Amino acid sequence: MKKGKHLIQRGLILLLGNEKTQPITLPLFAVFLSLLLGMVIIAVTGANPVNAYQNLLQGCGILPKPSYAAYKNSFTDFTGFLNAWTPMLFASLAVAVALKAGMFNIGVSGQMLISGFMASILAGYADGLSGLTAKFLVLLVGIAVGMLSGGLVGWLKYRFRVNEVVSTIMLNYILLYAVSFCIHMWYINPVSRQSAPVTQASRLTLLDVSAGGMKIDIPLGILLAIGIAFLLRFLLNRTTFGFEIRAAGKSPEAARYAGMQVGKNMVLAMMLSGALSGLAGVTYYLGYFGSIRPKVLPAVGFDAIAVALLGNSNPAGVILSSFLISILEKGNTYMSSRSGVPGEIASVITGILLLVSACTGYIRYRINRLKECGPNTEEKGRKGRRGEQSV
Amino acid sequence: MEYMVEMRHITKRFPGIVANDDVTIQIRPQEIFALLGENGAGKSTLMSMLFGMYEPDDGEIWIRGERVRITSPNQAAGLNIGMVHQHFKLVQNFTAAENIVLGTEPVKRLFGALPCFDKQQAEQQIRDLSHKYGLEIDPAKRISDMDVSARQRVEILKMLYRRAEILIFDEPTAVLTPQEIRFLLEIIRELKDQGKTVILISHKLEEIKQIADRCAVLNHGRLTAVRDVKDTSTREMAALMIGNELPEPMEKKEIQVSREILRVEHLTVENKNHLPVVRDVSFSVRGGEIFAVAGVAGNGQIELADAIAGLLKAKDGGIYLNGADISQFNVKRRIVSGLSYIPEDRQTTGLVLDFSLADNLILKKYGREPFSRRGILNPDEIGRYAEELIGRYDIRSARGKRTLVRSMSGGNQQKAVIGREIDLQNPLLIFVQPTRGLDIGAIDKIHRQILKEREAGKAILLISLELDEIMKLSDTVGVIYNGTMTRISDAKSLTADQIGAYMMGVKGA
Amino acid sequence: MNRMIIDGLAFALPLFIMAVGGIYSEQSGITNLALEGFQGVGAFTGALFVIMSADVLKPGSLPQILLAFAAAMAGGAVYSLLHALLCIRFRANMVISGIVINILAMAVTAYLTKQLNPLLTGAPSDKFQLGVSMRITIPVLSNIPVLGVVFKDLYLFEIWIVLLAVIAWFILYKSRFGLRLRACGDHPQAVDAAGVRVERIRLWAVLVSGALSGFAGMCFAYSISASFSSAIYAGYGYLAIAAMIFGNWKILPALGACLLFGFARSGGNEIVLLLQMPGAYADLVMILPYLLTLLLLVFFSGNNQAPRALGEVYEKGKR
Repeated sequence: MKKGKHLIQRGLILLLGNEKTQPITLPLFAVFLSLLLGMVIIAVTGANPVNAYQNLLQGCGILPKPSYAAYKNSFTDFTGFLNAWTPMLFASLAVAVALKAGMFNIGVSGQMLISGFMASILAGYADGLSGLTAKFLVLLVGIAVGMLSGGLVGWLKYRFRVNEVVSTIMLNYILLYAVSFCIHMWYINPVSRQSAPVTQASRLTLLDVSAGGMKIDIPLGILLAIGIAFLLRFLLNRTTFGFEIRAAGKSPEAARYAGMQVGKNMVLAMMLSGALSGLAGVTYYLGYFGSIRPKVLPAVGFDAIAVALLGNSNPAGVILSSFLISILEKGNTYMSSRSGVPGEIASVITGILLLVSACTGYIRYRINRLKECGPNTEEKGRKGRRGEQSV
Repeated sequence: MEYMVEMRHITKRFPGIVANDDVTIQIRPQEIFALLGENGAGKSTLMSMLFGMYEPDDGEIWIRGERVRITSPNQAAGLNIGMVHQHFKLVQNFTAAENIVLGTEPVKRLFGALPCFDKQQAEQQIRDLSHKYGLEIDPAKRISDMDVSARQRVEILKMLYRRAEILIFDEPTAVLTPQEIRFLLEIIRELKDQGKTVILISHKLEEIKQIADRCAVLNHGRLTAVRDVKDTSTREMAALMIGNELPEPMEKKEIQVSREILRVEHLTVENKNHLPVVRDVSFSVRGGEIFAVAGVAGNGQIELADAIAGLLKAKDGGIYLNGADISQFNVKRRIVSGLSYIPEDRQTTGLVLDFSLADNLILKKYGREPFSRRGILNPDEIGRYAEELIGRYDIRSARGKRTLVRSMSGGNQQKAVIGREIDLQNPLLIFVQPTRGLDIGAIDKIHRQILKEREAGKAILLISLELDEIMKLSDTVGVIYNGTMTRISDAKSLTADQIGAYMMGVKGA
Repeated sequence: MNRMIIDGLAFALPLFIMAVGGIYSEQSGITNLALEGFQGVGAFTGALFVIMSADVLKPGSLPQILLAFAAAMAGGAVYSLLHALLCIRFRANMVISGIVINILAMAVTAYLTKQLNPLLTGAPSDKFQLGVSMRITIPVLSNIPVLGVVFKDLYLFEIWIVLLAVIAWFILYKSRFGLRLRACGDHPQAVDAAGVRVERIRLWAVLVSGALSGFAGMCFAYSISASFSSAIYAGYGYLAIAAMIFGNWKILPALGACLLFGFARSGGNEIVLLLQMPGAYADLVMILPYLLTLLLLVFFSGNNQAPRALGEVYEKGKR
């Protein structure tokens, strides 16, 4: 028994002990652990976990399904997956930018909703616009509205010291009910109980494009999203603006002392975050979907928090982690129809993944301790732990 | 019973260091035993083990001739051990009485049934106790409204309330004025006469010489000597403490002061609650002059420095740098106008702990060429510059410019701050507590650095709580009391005692 | 007017008891954004108990209601252990932990409701149907002119909340435990040096917040929604947090803030009814408490003094 524990400790040190690779190995470990727990839960419900996970991948067009409907194949599934991934990627980048600046943007959902709604009424319902003009307008409105709603949060924090976690959550509900009110009053489609669908010209996803005998949905936003992720990486790591944001995020006092305008940067970072939320909103409501369901906040905005944490708030990491979570979210419909596992399991696994990634700091700490003290002294070492070397 | 406390062959390891390496000390009943050593020598760790904050990895503790295992402060209290920590452990918005009884509160029964905390009884008990030992405090006063020495009295009462017989004092005089120090030493002597055993952690040799019976010297976690104090000179103690020869005594050259560089006129600063913390302060500093602000902690000196640097908004008054009014400038413009600032708290203010050393070294220069051009950073130039500063200021770290500053030692962190600020090549340098928490070697280097800048004709504003430091370095001393600059004099015309008197608000000393 | 006071109280008091839980947690130094999740899991447990005990206990009877609330408190408390584990043992960022716990609560309770419903009720549904708790009118007191309405048509739980709040107030401000708890949020090292286990006190504080939030969640399930479903996650927990912030982390001022939210909401509903506005206007009324919260935050955030050690992970021996 004791020997087994030692072996596990050795193994963990070997796998996760390298401090240079920890930013990559630890999230991978978290993912692995959560998927394992997910498998246990699926097994408890009586389904075969391996099959279930296989179905997830098949639902996203990453593995081939046994059979396809007319005009469909794994490539069309994959573009369908890209369609769902796009808003998730934007939303996660929004959370990540705010985190870099030391703020929690819990309001991505609300910002997505208001941006999607404004883009719908200002561009989505306008007749006679050419596809290019309409799409350009949608993006513009999305960015502008998102920027304003994000900037408001930053400004409230800077000017009135309003905690952004609480203010974004309040704004979420305010926007939720306000948009719902407007839709019910003026834009309701009585049959679907959703807002009236936007014009084809304004949709950011080209629907049912016939090619090679297939009908493909082409999400235009995904290229933009990946491009912006890399742009963001450059902005954060290689520009003075990024330097200031990161400094303010790590230590606002030191940033102020160094002569940076922390308040202004806070507002700017939140505007940037809001703009990304806005892009998430338009790719969600005018890309993935074509209308808005009243009284529902998009879950993407909350899952994005998990994604950003998992990706270390690092744009490149976020691309990978959002890819993963999108598989869970997108593939679960196919999974529940094939293997009878309820679709809600996807959110449960996401929740567990979040939980584990919230603990990665601790895992890192324990691993590094184990490594320094050696497995034998580990218990003793814990008793005398302390934060810093002093005096 | 020959010994009250015995710690035999104590070893304690922390990740990366051995804090105590096979240390054995034996303390007799009713003696004042001093524990001597530099910062980081392992004194506090050793005493924390006696107080139950940590457990030793190896070794035994014997109290009154019996072997004991102390796993918590509670157990230590049960063995009549008490400790006054260097950083007071007091709940700010509780009263003195609440703080003292915390953990062993008197209880009364409301309506004969509901147990509740008996505040009146607690206050009465504390009042009696404070009379008994001559430690005057108001039990109903909040800690946040008390000055440092009153807080210390609360800490001492806390031990006595728990019937402590073995009293540990961790650097008790670090924040006090000479008069308060004398008073404290008096109290300690009195406690000894009442039968208590006292352990005093200190690096101030004069005090040890004054009151201790014996002293043990720690160096890098090892016990290097135990001596009778009356047979040992302070010079000898110092040599034991550092483990090698003392640094050369510093030579302060006579130099000609030049023109006025900083002038502060009628400066008033208010805190968050709109109460004035700096009141109508005026002074000036010339090139080649070290102007030291002396004062007890919390008398407005930090706010004064922050206001000059632009971190706090001045309510009123003018700040002139090289003749130009900078009082309306933001922080960045003040830096550019020629102001370098070594803040009190290097860890939260002076550095971004989770940034690399290189990024910290350009913290005030990242926006200038060649480190960035049109908003784009130039990592090559930044790296080259960082390596240059690391070499010039002897900043040591595990991974060079890529090291996270958090993982560096306090001394090297401070070297990084000072290096960065000096290299801004500004005519005005503000140093606040530049040697806080550093060991003798590092202190000596920093003092030399400050004198070198003085010789280079810089104007230096030095704010320190350490009177020794002020006496050693300053050309002019301004004493701040309750936000007011009560006295400005040539340093040579004042003794430490006179400064101490002004620091406590005594007029006409 | 009477309706407005009765409904306002029925909404304000559950918020208040949740805010009291939040005050316990945060006064001990543990930032608690997880109230939302606690109340949801509490409501879930309570509702589950009602469904499962349907054959044994008469639906809507006093014993059933009492036990359902007990189950809700237990459920909230057990789930809050997760927050305690993350914040105290695993030293996770407390804000992140709170958010994570809310997301997980929503996912797990929705999943379980869907899984369990066919087994327990034989019908696939994402809802546990409950009744509405019984209401009582206190004789004599309710006949007092003007103020009497406060004692009219009370849900049973409103009376229990008042009792719980009095007990919570007494413990926090008058008992030894309360003294130590408040000390933990200001200077945990001092508490540790006094020989009191900080971790243990913080654990209790979080458990109290879980239990009280669970109770509050059950109140909402038994009144506003008359069921348990994901709709219970309507941000009540965050309203309670906002009330706690205006209340400057003190119990009585937090009550004032909650009453304000409650009356804003019931007053708005009253106006919609009175003016016979279309149903969509109900959405506008729903905005009121949140908007009010935001506005009050703007005015009060600057001056408030949070517990000094709030959100600080306590490590033994750190100086």
